[in-house]
Amino acid sequence: MSEILTRSGLRVGSPAVYGGAAACLVLLVLPFYLDRFWLQAGLFAMAAALGAIGINLLTGATGQLSMGHAFFLAVGAYGYCAFAGDGADGLAGLGLPGWLAAVLAVALSGLAGGVFSPIAGRLRGAYLGIATLALIFIGQHVLFNAHDLTGGFNGRAVPPLSLFGLTFDDTELLVAQVPFGAVEKLWYLGLALLLGGVLFARGVLRGRPGRAMNAIRDHRIAAGVMGIPVARYRAAVFVLSSMYAGLAGVLLALVFQRTVPEYFGMALSLEYLAMIVIGGLGSVAGAVAGGVFVSLLPQLLNRYSDALPLVSAPGTGGIAPGEAARYLYGAAVVAVVLFLPGGLARLAARRPGKPGSGKSPKTPMHTPNTPTTTEPSGEAR
Amino acid sequence: MSTFAEFLINGISLGSIYALIALGFVVIFRATEVVNFAHASLLLAGGYVTAVLHDEIGFWPALLAGIAGAAVVGAAVEFFVMRRHRGADHSVLAIVTIGVDILLATELTRRIGTDILALGDPWGDSVVTVGGVTIAETRIAALLAAGLLITAFLLAFRYTSWGVAMRAAAENQETAALMGIRLGRVSIGAWAVAGGLAAVAALFLTVFPTPGLERTTSLAALKAFPAAILGGLDSTTGALVGGLLVGVTESLATGYQGDLAFLGRGIGDLAPYLVMVAVLLIRPAGLFGTKEPARV
Amino acid sequence: MTAPPPPPGEHIPALEVRDLTVRFAGLTALDAVGFTVRPGTVHALIGPNGAGKSTCFNVLSGVYRATEGSVRLGPHELTALPPHRIADLGVGRIFQNLALPPRATVEDSLMLGRHRLTRTGFVAAGLRLPSAAREEARHRARVREIAAFVGLEQQLARPAGSLPYGQQKLAELARALCMEPKLLLLDEPVAGMTADERRRTASVIAGVRDSLGISVLLVEHDMGLVMRLADSVTVLDFGRRIADGAPGDVQNDPAVVRAYLGEESAA
Repeated sequence: MSEILTRSGLRVGSPAVYGGAAACLVLLVLPFYLDRFWLQAGLFAMAAALGAIGINLLTGATGQLSMGHAFFLAVGAYGYCAFAGDGADGLAGLGLPGWLAAVLAVALSGLAGGVFSPIAGRLRGAYLGIATLALIFIGQHVLFNAHDLTGGFNGRAVPPLSLFGLTFDDTELLVAQVPFGAVEKLWYLGLALLLGGVLFARGVLRGRPGRAMNAIRDHRIAAGVMGIPVARYRAAVFVLSSMYAGLAGVLLALVFQRTVPEYFGMALSLEYLAMIVIGGLGSVAGAVAGGVFVSLLPQLLNRYSDALPLVSAPGTGGIAPGEAARYLYGAAVVAVVLFLPGGLARLAARRPGKPGSGKSPKTPMHTPNTPTTTEPSGEAR
Repeated sequence: MSTFAEFLINGISLGSIYALIALGFVVIFRATEVVNFAHASLLLAGGYVTAVLHDEIGFWPALLAGIAGAAVVGAAVEFFVMRRHRGADHSVLAIVTIGVDILLATELTRRIGTDILALGDPWGDSVVTVGGVTIAETRIAALLAAGLLITAFLLAFRYTSWGVAMRAAAENQETAALMGIRLGRVSIGAWAVAGGLAAVAALFLTVFPTPGLERTTSLAALKAFPAAILGGLDSTTGALVGGLLVGVTESLATGYQGDLAFLGRGIGDLAPYLVMVAVLLIRPAGLFGTKEPARV
Repeated sequence: MTAPPPPPGEHIPALEVRDLTVRFAGLTALDAVGFTVRPGTVHALIGPNGAGKSTCFNVLSGVYRATEGSVRLGPHELTALPPHRIADLGVGRIFQNLALPPRATVEDSLMLGRHRLTRTGFVAAGLRLPSAAREEARHRARVREIAAFVGLEQQLARPAGSLPYGQQKLAELARALCMEPKLLLLDEPVAGMTADERRRTASVIAGVRDSLGISVLLVEHDMGLVMRLADSVTVLDFGRRIADGAPGDVQNDPAVVRAYLGEESAA
């Protein structure tokens, strides 16, 4: 373990370690101090971060572009509903326990990614990006048409998760005189999932699979000659990335408490690509930073629209907060590649300690300290 | 039988429009090796310019203005954004065009709002009937315009110095540069031409029987992507064949959707993507794409 | 030069190339070329630019498909195999142009060479299972040995891109050695190197043959190096084999002299 820490540039007693520990502590006590809206925004950010890690494994680390990420988020979200739903609302449901439904939903996302693997394995880079457009349209078509499964246009309600006898719904639980509803409980679940997701992805990237993935990105032919089965690896990373998306979808569904088809459109896929470019391609910390940035931006703008120039509430003639957010992250994508190759993760890695070594950024997760409102930022175009 | 002929002719007409869009997309790819995900927004920009100007200056000047406008937007994207990134990884460049697309699409959809804009075309909803087959005049105009433009383009690509420079740059950028070809001009030219072609396509995607230009027009334009890739991203022939294939598939699937009801509503919009997936499963490089021999 | 302990003692097979023909869209890059690399020898493949040497390498490593002919490594036919399967049979290769990711450390780049000898998959790496950590540690130790063998042990922690060109080429050679190959394909290993680096690389190649018994197929324009190192030489010109034999014989072959001088007078 100490060797891993040393290699990643972290040393016991270094400021980064203390900073990370402090950030973790802050994250753990936040539910005691923040109101529901802020917590919900934080949970969106966590889900976005999980999904962004997934697509960063594929696009950032392996060089394979995907526009189909929203599809796999949908598979996770709707898969959870279908596995956990009890059929009382007239929609197909197996009535499985929530935790099992969540696990199966993630597995189902992986399976969906695997079904696409003949294409995901053989197409490279931007070619795959175009091919995966098909997933968006297939997804939207199924979500709107398969009423019995998806509830069609109106979507379907998300059954609450239960784990170890604890149900993640709004039945109040008093912890240290603070009432814990769904968001407070989910907050800890989200943190745990994100921590697990971060550690797993880092392990993958720093180990044998990560080296092979980077080799495929950097020099596809040399990678093959070095003994890496390129197509099989591309397909495997696609599956892994889909599973991260599925997990993000499950978490999103639990937070929204309702899944609606138009959320999982093309704009959502574009958002995820924006996240990883802004945060830093190929790095886990970058995915988290970008996920938090892009998902919190519209909510921040919404919250403070009165105080900001040009921005105003929808329908009043100015630029709506959602649009302003899209201007900002669209411009951020262009600007980051121009002026800050490596993204936020590189920026953070440059500040303390040695420069260079962009592959081992050490930003702790950004603390979502000023989130607001419940509105999701993605919408179908 | 005559219904089938109608569907087929409409499909070919629609397909020629997709081919027009896909051609521009392929031109950018060949000149710069960049997959331009902002292409649908270029199209929307051209259509928007035509839509807002036609009342004041008349349809034909407005159409020219739309073509010029989209060409300028394309050239500006190349000059102010893509040119600064030259040398970056191609996947990263593709994502940069996604950033550009987010910016352009947000601006245009904000301006268009929920409106449906007419482009003021002279054909209206008139139809011609030949031997029991009824075809809208707009479809005939589309077919003729696309055929003319594609022919002109292919001739230019083959015989003008610009075309030669473009093909040389596609072959090998470094060598082309050493031979005195100005890569900057080739690439800005490609973006401008692609924008112009997309603006013409915008007209024909929004005339009868479509109600007009709206924010979702870019979704229709997106079908040029499957057209381009199933033909083979680096092949102009592929763009034409791919465009026609997508257009005909869409037209037939929409026409017979009564018989395809079990597949759900709107199967016509999905069909092009299904065809793309089917083709890629069999030929990952597309129908006419070259499996480039690696230079190592 | 101390060689690292040899890999698990497997016998080194011969490489037999027979009637190898490669055509691209009507252009014949290789025309019925044949030669044999005897086990444990350095075999040089030389010829003027455009003679088909790199094409030949690309076929041997599975990057190009042969139009006709056969390539056999011991009992295995290579022409139908994809690159990674050929690598699995113990064929290592370095490229004419650098193929080393500039930002990864030299050590991580060399670890890539261990890919075919290691097993850690996504789950084991992601969960950081003890088996993955043990495997990683074991192979990092071997990587350090090989780095020391080529003289890069001081550079292991540096990003490959920060090394001088010659050392990057050496790092690529080390990466190929990390595959524990039975046959090493070297495409212009000393191009762009200083005299000092050339000497070092030459002694590494000789050491590979003499102490590890690995066969080496070498494409190189530095004739001094070829004549000193090679046990046998095949000469290609315009895709055809024009000579084959011991270095001394080939050097004086009139066809070879003509091919080289002809090229010079035409240039």
